[in-house]
Amino acid sequence: MANQIENLPNTPPEGANWESDLKKVGFVRRLLRARHWYGADWWFVLISSIAVIGFIIVAIFPGLFAPYSPDALVGPRFLAPGEEAALSVLVVPSSASYSNLKELAAGEGSTRPRIGVVQGSSTAGDLNTQAQLIDQKLKEQGNGVRFRPVIARYASLDLALQAVADGTDSAAVVQSTEFVSVKAKFTTLREADSLTGETAGSFALGTNDIGQDLLSRLIWGTRIALIIGFTSAILSLFLGVPLGLLAGFLGGAFDRILSLVMDSLYAFPGLILAIAIAAVLGPSILNIIIAISVLYIPTYYRIVRGQTLSVKQEVYIEAAQSIGARRPEILGRYILPNVIPSVFIIFSVNIADAILTGAGLSFLGLGLPPTIADWGIDLARGQRFIQTAPWMITYPGIAIVLVVLSFTLMGEGLTEIFNPKLRDR
Amino acid sequence: MADDILYSVRNLTVDYKTRGGIVHAVDNVSLDIRRGEILGLVGESGCGKSTFGKALMRLHDGPASIPNGELWFDGQDLMKVPMKDMPAIRGADIGMVFQDPMTSLNPVQSIMEHLTETIQTHEPKVSDAAAHARAEDLVERLGIRHERLKEYPHQMSGGMRQRVMISLALALRAKLVIADEPTTSLDVIVEAKFLDLLKELQEEFNLTILLITHNIGVVAEVCDRVAVMYAAKMVEVGSVEAVFADPKHPYTQGLLRSVPNIKLDEGDLYKMGGEPPSLLHPPTGCRFHPRCPKAMDICSREEPAFESVAGEQLASCWLYQKADGKQKVTNG
Repeated sequence: MANQIENLPNTPPEGANWESDLKKVGFVRRLLRARHWYGADWWFVLISSIAVIGFIIVAIFPGLFAPYSPDALVGPRFLAPGEEAALSVLVVPSSASYSNLKELAAGEGSTRPRIGVVQGSSTAGDLNTQAQLIDQKLKEQGNGVRFRPVIARYASLDLALQAVADGTDSAAVVQSTEFVSVKAKFTTLREADSLTGETAGSFALGTNDIGQDLLSRLIWGTRIALIIGFTSAILSLFLGVPLGLLAGFLGGAFDRILSLVMDSLYAFPGLILAIAIAAVLGPSILNIIIAISVLYIPTYYRIVRGQTLSVKQEVYIEAAQSIGARRPEILGRYILPNVIPSVFIIFSVNIADAILTGAGLSFLGLGLPPTIADWGIDLARGQRFIQTAPWMITYPGIAIVLVVLSFTLMGEGLTEIFNPKLRDR
Repeated sequence: MADDILYSVRNLTVDYKTRGGIVHAVDNVSLDIRRGEILGLVGESGCGKSTFGKALMRLHDGPASIPNGELWFDGQDLMKVPMKDMPAIRGADIGMVFQDPMTSLNPVQSIMEHLTETIQTHEPKVSDAAAHARAEDLVERLGIRHERLKEYPHQMSGGMRQRVMISLALALRAKLVIADEPTTSLDVIVEAKFLDLLKELQEEFNLTILLITHNIGVVAEVCDRVAVMYAAKMVEVGSVEAVFADPKHPYTQGLLRSVPNIKLDEGDLYKMGGEPPSLLHPPTGCRFHPRCPKAMDICSREEPAFESVAGEQLASCWLYQKADGKQKVTNG
């Protein structure tokens, strides 16, 4: 009986014949040999995959990375990146037993301590608000003790501080950033707590027009971007692939009608179609996902239908029929597994596209409710302040570019490695 | 119907719809396949022999259709079986081995999956373990180590894949295996081994094999009987010994003379004149008459009957018939 068992050579022969070797080698070897064979670089895939995984981790656990809640008004408005936020702080004599307003109120009984502020500074307002809050609390306790400081207004910071140093005033409320510059002159004074009790926040990417931290919004926005990207790509995959399979497999009128519909969808300019759908459905995250997935169904449909048509002609399909495989089985076990690799490569590029379209829709105000932390919304908001606060539009823009770039690079890199023959087409 | 006949094809016609019109790729062909024999089906490329083989399993789709004919397999007319019940017969009763072993296995399934799927498709109650055991047993008998079952088609050589295809046909004890040019893409050494294997299997399993080939040498080597097709028609059927010793139809004669023969040193090889006819517009009368060296008047006018010329040897040629105005069709 015939018995020639052959072993594959452990390493594929060098160079030249890579097209035929391609079918024989596994994923890892393809990855490593790709550069040698046809100049596709594995490090494209590596770098972009790391970036993609990073983005996914950030999207899953934004709370771990974001310093603030994306909606909270945590800082002053229009704070430039890296600039320190100015807080209203209490400056008291070094020897003073109190270091905040509450202690001051308790220490002074129901007397009216003099507290200095600088004219025209925002600190006076802060002081008023805080003092009233404390007063309110004391009033509720009902033992007759009140807190009504005398607010002394000075023309300059120096004068206000001098008054504290002289003992005229019990304390002064000044901007923390301004106090730093004159600190050396008043050695007998010390910077006590801030008025609100908060420590000065740092805003690496600055704040927006209503005082939200841009970095936090950016980080939480990753989640929305990836949710939109993944779900709409998955949705269109789950609709486009079966339709393509059926159309290619069944042929006939079903194929013709469906192809006509898909081609007309495909011929539409993408964003305009998405705008139309989103405008009809109204702004919500689900609707934006629906709008985008409708847009990308034809991409999957066309690829899968084409591949199905070609796989259907393969002898192993006929062979499967000859061993008694039924139609659903042929579709599911023979055609689908041979079609699916190309689908996953489009999938990655498709996510990038969907993210971009999603951002475009919310930029136009058609996508998401404006309360959601989303890059597109941040872009739209930043656009109004592009002269005064360019960072508001810059960082969401960079984020979109990075995410889209890494998904696209990963997709393209994988295509090159798995389907090098597609490159020239 | 005689009990020693496994598959009796009666007046089978297979049509292809083309832009030029309807082509009869198989035209009114009758043939009997006997139990336990290896029947060789030879003919030129495009004469309809592969179409005939596929039609035996009703594996035709798209532009092909069977307008008439009877397919009596084991006492049952397959033409009367609803199309949805055909998959149960394919594989279980009739198996097929295709020409190109490189493309006839699913590249994303391992050999084991191929075999277990075949078994479980037809016998859903068989457990995975039992199916695996049967698969291992089967391939070992075909000379493939069972460790290799977990490999994928691309990891095997052409000869091994062809043996896997055979094992798929044998997995369910198919009564008839249709082998469509199984050795065409194999080199001569693997081909010889494969033919030996076919012969062994036929004896071991009492298998009936329809071997479709254009290689006369293969027929002489392994077949019991031979059927010759020309331009969608059956022109001659008989035992290999009889047909090779005394071919009746001029086409068979030409075919045998155009194969190098080590015993008869005839100098230059015979080259048949003319071209195979277009099936869209076949010649009138006997389809071979434009190329036939012995053509007579009647050949271009009337079609000869396919009938016995010497015992069990049948041919369709006016040389052995009288023109009596009506065609007789006898069993092949």
